[in-house]
Amino acid sequence: MAKLLLCACEDVSLDEVRRAFALGHRDLESVKRYTGFGTGPCQGKSCLALVARELLRLGATPAEVAPFTVRPPIRPVALGALAAIDPAVLAIDEGVPVGIDGDPSPSWTAAPTARIAAAHPEPLDEARDGRGADAPEARSRGVPSRADVVIVGGGIQGLALAYELTRRRVRDVVVLERGYLNAGASGRNGGGVRTQWSTPTMIRLARRSLAICDRFAVDLGVNVWFRRGGYLFLAPGREQVERIERNAALHRREGLNTRIIGPAEALEVVPELDASRILAASYNPDDGVVFPWPFLWGYARGAEAGGARVHTFTRVTGFDLSGPRVTAVRTDRGRIACDLVVVAAGAWSKEVAALAGVALPNRPIRHEILVTEPLKPWLDPLVSVLGNGLYFSQSQRGEIVGGMGDPREPEGVALGSTLRFLARFARGAIDVVPRLAGVKVVRQWAGCYDVTPDNNPILGPAGPENFHQVSGFVGHGFMMAPAVAELYADWLAGRGKDEIFERFTADRFAGGPIAREDFIIG
Amino acid sequence: MPRLPTFAPDCTILVDGAPVPARRGEPIAVALLAAGRPLVARSAKYHRPRGAFCLAGSCGSCLVRAGGLPNQRACRTPCGDRLAVETQNALPTAAHDLLGAIDRVYAHGLDHHHLMTWSVLANRAAVAVSRRLAGLGRLPDEAAADAARAGAAPREERWDTLVVGAGPAGLAAAEALADAGRRVLLADQEPAPGGRLRCRLGHPGEPDLAWAARVATRVTQAGGEVAPGTAVLGLWHDGGSALAALEVDGPPRRVRLVRPARIVVCTGGHVQPPAIADGDRPGVYGGRGLAAALAEHGAVPGRRAVVLGADAEADALGRALFAAGMSVERVARADGGRVLGRGRVRALALAGGTRIPCDTIAVATPPVPAAELLRELGAPIRLDAELGAFAADAAPDGATGVAGLFAAGEVTGAMDAARAAEAGRRAGEAARG
Repeated sequence: MAKLLLCACEDVSLDEVRRAFALGHRDLESVKRYTGFGTGPCQGKSCLALVARELLRLGATPAEVAPFTVRPPIRPVALGALAAIDPAVLAIDEGVPVGIDGDPSPSWTAAPTARIAAAHPEPLDEARDGRGADAPEARSRGVPSRADVVIVGGGIQGLALAYELTRRRVRDVVVLERGYLNAGASGRNGGGVRTQWSTPTMIRLARRSLAICDRFAVDLGVNVWFRRGGYLFLAPGREQVERIERNAALHRREGLNTRIIGPAEALEVVPELDASRILAASYNPDDGVVFPWPFLWGYARGAEAGGARVHTFTRVTGFDLSGPRVTAVRTDRGRIACDLVVVAAGAWSKEVAALAGVALPNRPIRHEILVTEPLKPWLDPLVSVLGNGLYFSQSQRGEIVGGMGDPREPEGVALGSTLRFLARFARGAIDVVPRLAGVKVVRQWAGCYDVTPDNNPILGPAGPENFHQVSGFVGHGFMMAPAVAELYADWLAGRGKDEIFERFTADRFAGGPIAREDFIIG
Repeated sequence: MPRLPTFAPDCTILVDGAPVPARRGEPIAVALLAAGRPLVARSAKYHRPRGAFCLAGSCGSCLVRAGGLPNQRACRTPCGDRLAVETQNALPTAAHDLLGAIDRVYAHGLDHHHLMTWSVLANRAAVAVSRRLAGLGRLPDEAAADAARAGAAPREERWDTLVVGAGPAGLAAAEALADAGRRVLLADQEPAPGGRLRCRLGHPGEPDLAWAARVATRVTQAGGEVAPGTAVLGLWHDGGSALAALEVDGPPRRVRLVRPARIVVCTGGHVQPPAIADGDRPGVYGGRGLAAALAEHGAVPGRRAVVLGADAEADALGRALFAAGMSVERVARADGGRVLGRGRVRALALAGGTRIPCDTIAVATPPVPAAELLRELGAPIRLDAELGAFAADAAPDGATGVAGLFAAGEVTGAMDAARAAEAGRRAGEAARG
């Protein structure tokens, strides 16, 4: 019954940290995500050093214990206090913290590790040799010289595709990730999964993804805390009402349970709403939220079990081309000759494609997000306000997770956090749920949407014939990935080509008018 | 003897409905500790008993519902007569929590990643049940939420220098800046300036609190401001330079926006809980927080204390607790040991088998640097081998490598108050520009 806790906020024990390390989560960012240490009200003030010391004892390198990124605010602050700040007086810029997340080169210096070790009881045997019975080799090892398929990007798109390929007997697959797992948008999003889209194609993909979410914990052996609490889109004005009514008609044709409800009924779904702010709402009880991080662990482990190799902290530096084909991927850990490359690098896709001389129309645009202190469950659906890009839901752990797009956000990969966002979000959130004024923000961060001209993805070859893209998901890549990966793997394994690969081609923008997806949040 | 005689309670707070004597304005956690009730909550996952630990607003152990607001730090929230305090995450209360059984059932830990992944139906049940159990406090009361709204929009303030932290380093930095005619804003989240000097442990060579008062006068005379009860929430980039948001303790709470030309970070450190079995039990406290509660509120935490730590500060803390009437044992290290007791500490068992009965464990090991603000602006940090923690990597004059950003005192590594003050003075001189 005695427990040695290293993180008292989240009840994370020494044994849990050792188990995480044994499973291959060696760096502080990964251990934080796997164990939850440092994510509670103190944000690591009482545990970061303790965990770092233990990882060093277990054999982590100084680079692996680079402290996890510090996230403002440094003490919890009520949304009501932040709402006093007028966001209009605050500029948008690259934000804080300075220095890039997921960059494996630490901006700090390490002293010799031997003297740091505290005298804890002996580590578990499985922890001492760095891996457990079913653990992968350390993922930051040298790369193989050849592979059938190289996937650039270890986010959910890349890992789900690797997993689905191995299930179709395409096993010689290598996934390259420049940071730790979950360093990109897959680890930074709000975890919403919904069927309420504005085209039959997106609805079909989303439905398939929700079905996969339903079984993910059982099929991939790790909990993703999928909860169908519904999605509630609030329409504050006539224009938004017309939008939701138009979409609801489509949803009915597609057999979805979407209903347009009035303010009184919206209050039944979320009693804390200020219903006077809305004219109507679109509610679908079958939509839901997940906890994003375990999807990557599950898909990575599943892909590795099927023969694929996942390399973290490995950066792509270029491509070798010969005529119309890519022949190899160059990385900072070596060159990999290959038959096929799939770029699944999210907001970095444009940058990666450019290394092969391919110009993508994608535009990375930062989206900021925050999380509050954990509360007892009170909010079932994900609430989204149409018109201003605000959304929030309650996570499985009880926190309110919410974001808000900013029309003034410029193009570019930026992962810093701004005070302007805190002020905008606070005002917007209190406007629809006044009681949020007394709820405190504990952490803010940012990720990038990967935006295309028509808000739809780019799939299939671009440039060289064996140089594929799976990018441009405009903030909903996470929820689409499970379904898209199945279809993509079918196609690459010669089991039929879905119509999405005809529809969402890289060269569609050269032609005539394009149908635009208009149900984007954030 | 829960209180030193000169600190008589003058009000009553209601903890889960039961009256607890308190002094107006003192933190809830101090009133509870003086009343011999260290238990304030149940922990997030295992529903273990939780009490205040750091008593300094850095850990998250003492969250209570107070005045209708959830997850308030009991060590930061002042008492008022009839203030309603509720313990959190317990069924029905922290003292008698039926869900405490979770800690026993999962004696070897609970692997939530792989819990009930054997069937879709079982998994759905796990999601539903764990959601009911998750979260700490309940949503705020309507009136309390309304009161949490800050008033008018703050206007941006311009200062020559923002000094964060009014301990020995910050005070000395502010003094040096004021002496050079600089307008300084000296902000500290504590209700009074002094930092660790507020412990009044009387180390030889340590500046005293009267000096803090003199510095405050000096800063004010030079057009500056000493702002206790004012926490820096963060440093953000805004329009190319650093912008600080500060929260001023109420009532009424308000936010200030400060754009300083220079920043000196003297945020000291965070006391670390002892990494020993059951080291999270109520009755284990940060030594400095305990010493300040004793000095400022006369709160005596119990009868028998163990002071954990090997340096002069641990000696001095032991003397202060002894002078307050406690029996005191000194233990340099407790690695491999275990805390006995459940709702409150009963003894400390050492690895060698020695068992020291006690009701209080005061942690007097050096704090780990509070480098969060520095890291926001990209200042380099280093792994301090001696401390086993990350510390700001500042030059002897406090320069951090980020233009206009300086650091001094314990945020750069362990040091006594006299050395911290000296480092602060040098940083203040360097930040004059």
